[in-house]
Amino acid sequence: MPTSFNTEHAPFNLLTENQKKLLRDSLDIGYFDKKEVILEAGQPSDYVYVILKGDVAETDDHFSGNFEEEDEGFVAHYDNEELFGAITIINGSSRHTFTALEETISYLIPKATFLTLIEQNEDFSAFFKRTLAEKTRHLLSRQSDSDYDSSTFMLAQIDETCMRQPLVLASGSTIKEATQALKDHHADSLLVDRDGQYGMITKTDLLDAVVLKGLTLGSNIADLAHYKLLTVAPGDFLFNALVLMTRHKIERVVVQDEQQRLHGVVELVDVLSFFSNQSHVIGLQIEKASNLKELARAANGLNDLVRSLVSHGVKINFAMDLLAALNARIIGKVFDFLIPEEVRHKVCMLVLGSEGRGEQVLKTDQDNAIILSDDLVWPDRQKVLQQITDTLVSFGYPLCPGNIMVSNPMWVLTETQWKHQLVEWANTTNGEAQMNLAIFADAHVIAGDRGMFKKVRDFMFAHLAGNDVFYSYFASPIMRFSTPLTMFGSIKDSSKGIDIKKGGIFPIVHGIRTMALENRIKATNTFDRINALVEKKVLKKSFAENLSEALGLFVSLRLKQQLKTLAEGSEAEDANHIFISDMTKLDKEFFRDALHVVKDFKSRLSNRYRLER
Amino acid sequence: MVLKTIRTVADRWQHGKGEYGHIFEPYVGDECIALDLETTSLDPESADILSIGAVKVRGKKVVTSERLDIKLQKPETLTAESIKIHKIRGIDLHGGEALGDALVELLNFIGNRPIMGYYIDFDIAVLNRHIRPRYGFSLPNKVIELSHLYQQKVQRANPELQPDLHFEKIAEKLSVPIMGRHTAVGDAITTALMYVRTMQGNIPL
Repeated sequence: MPTSFNTEHAPFNLLTENQKKLLRDSLDIGYFDKKEVILEAGQPSDYVYVILKGDVAETDDHFSGNFEEEDEGFVAHYDNEELFGAITIINGSSRHTFTALEETISYLIPKATFLTLIEQNEDFSAFFKRTLAEKTRHLLSRQSDSDYDSSTFMLAQIDETCMRQPLVLASGSTIKEATQALKDHHADSLLVDRDGQYGMITKTDLLDAVVLKGLTLGSNIADLAHYKLLTVAPGDFLFNALVLMTRHKIERVVVQDEQQRLHGVVELVDVLSFFSNQSHVIGLQIEKASNLKELARAANGLNDLVRSLVSHGVKINFAMDLLAALNARIIGKVFDFLIPEEVRHKVCMLVLGSEGRGEQVLKTDQDNAIILSDDLVWPDRQKVLQQITDTLVSFGYPLCPGNIMVSNPMWVLTETQWKHQLVEWANTTNGEAQMNLAIFADAHVIAGDRGMFKKVRDFMFAHLAGNDVFYSYFASPIMRFSTPLTMFGSIKDSSKGIDIKKGGIFPIVHGIRTMALENRIKATNTFDRINALVEKKVLKKSFAENLSEALGLFVSLRLKQQLKTLAEGSEAEDANHIFISDMTKLDKEFFRDALHVVKDFKSRLSNRYRLER
Repeated sequence: MVLKTIRTVADRWQHGKGEYGHIFEPYVGDECIALDLETTSLDPESADILSIGAVKVRGKKVVTSERLDIKLQKPETLTAESIKIHKIRGIDLHGGEALGDALVELLNFIGNRPIMGYYIDFDIAVLNRHIRPRYGFSLPNKVIELSHLYQQKVQRANPELQPDLHFEKIAEKLSVPIMGRHTAVGDAITTALMYVRTMQGNIPL
């Protein structure tokens, strides 16, 4: 008592039962009038406040005192069940002022109790002392405490997906008939039904019978079969089947339920392929593909792979890396199949935009371009390039709405033409030229002669170096979309959902891209670029970590949405809109923290590139 | 009121120097006690106490860390009727305290502070019925009736208004969350919150 204090939410769920009791027993409840200052900047706090009902604003000393308008000084906004004052107790005094925006009833955790809990419980104390990046890491490690690979391995059950329909012949069938049936069904083994009892016969058994024992082809197979079958029940762990096979040195077990009903046969090959990494299988399929048809089959497995990776909690950065690698191999293979051998070394194929950054997780529009050697003569060019685009469409990579594809001669230029084109874009301040330049800045070589691309890129870096006016223009789109935070610092929700691309992903990606360009960073992946910027001491490590976590959070939220829309078959357009009402309280808190990181980053960029015009 | 004053004067004469003499001292301070009983019936002459909930109010703070939450042994008069009212069954009271011990705890907890509650006269009457035979005095404390306080406050703003004085309605008007309805301590805390809210500035009409 008070019974209604909820200890199920973070961070209180980190406490032990005894600690929860201590907390509940020492709680008080405070009432604060509208506009009453609860905690003043510079003052120590006697309590940690957990709002029961009400609304509290955190403001710094720039704050003008007007709560009605958006203002510089607003730091954050606290709603029901949110807590504040903890950092004040840890630091000794409050950095900011906390004011009740409406009548507020708040639980009060006395300072002494809070300090005791922090001292006793490491997880609880860590919750308050960590930055966003560390918080997320901590949370993720709690969510999936074991390695996902081994857990799917251990938990897979025997069902239709992994067993084969058994080939059953009646007793009295001959060896010849059995051999024919095995051949017709591409099977290695069959079952004989002898008065309701099943016996197993393999190809080897038939061979032995004819060659070694000298039986005639008309002999009854029921006499050859092994009737002592090793069985598993449907729903057993697949792992058990593997153990059984290993122990008895056999290659198949029969699936039978308690009523001796036959369900199927599990073959060793099936078990092993199930357990081997799916991505590895797709990778092998791509490598082994000897024509476009086989390649298409591999390409179509990609979305399923992503879905299974995500549902198993694989970290988004890894999933993106893997997908980028597989996509690159598919496109590279297409390049090899279609571009004639004699011109291959004079052509360089690039992927651009999100694909170039390696940040698309599902297959999205194709964005690609080609650099040609200045001395190349290739009459068939347009026909072949059109074929590449068409092939990729058939693999499930949709056409680029902006027509940034190798089938468009605009994006197929010689080395010298490219340099001129880049200079022209850099000197033009209209949106389209700037956007094209941004797309090219993410270019990544996928096949062909890498050297040509390096020359073009280095030329671009050199040309743009020191051109402050250019960077100011280039960075300006960052400020075009506002961060979806209210003036009080809570998430600004709307019935259409929050556009996470405009509000979160784009500002980070483009801001980092601008900084990377300025600092001649060759990496194209945003996470890699952030790390490179840290190495060059352009970004502080702590801030960079938060930035990476924020981006990771946005991308994984978007991916979840994309997978959902994919499953529901609705328009892909919805994917960028996130509904916070669907989120848990903790997710919401992370999302809000992440948006604050974006806001902070934008204001830094605005200073750096003088974007306030 | 007059009767109570006369009675208290007489009680003080008799017990002012006794074990509970401090209860008769005039109170100075900003605390009061929010009190609620759960009983077997709504008749103060026969109702038995099932549980006692009390919590200190200090200024604008409801000091829930200093509270009384006593469940009593099952009395003879627990009937199906009272189970319906309070949703407290005999089994809930298993292992409860003896009434005598509970009253000692309560008297020490309250001291000479004012007692505040919702329809508090009923609770005081039931308590006095048990206290007087044991100790020879009735509770002398100042009594604050939440519903009167609330009504006064509303009518001071608009004398025409006749506010709805149901417990839930007052809580709703004051936007006070109801904490564990039909437990004595839950109701005491809710009453305390309503009291703190009512004492602050203007209240919504």
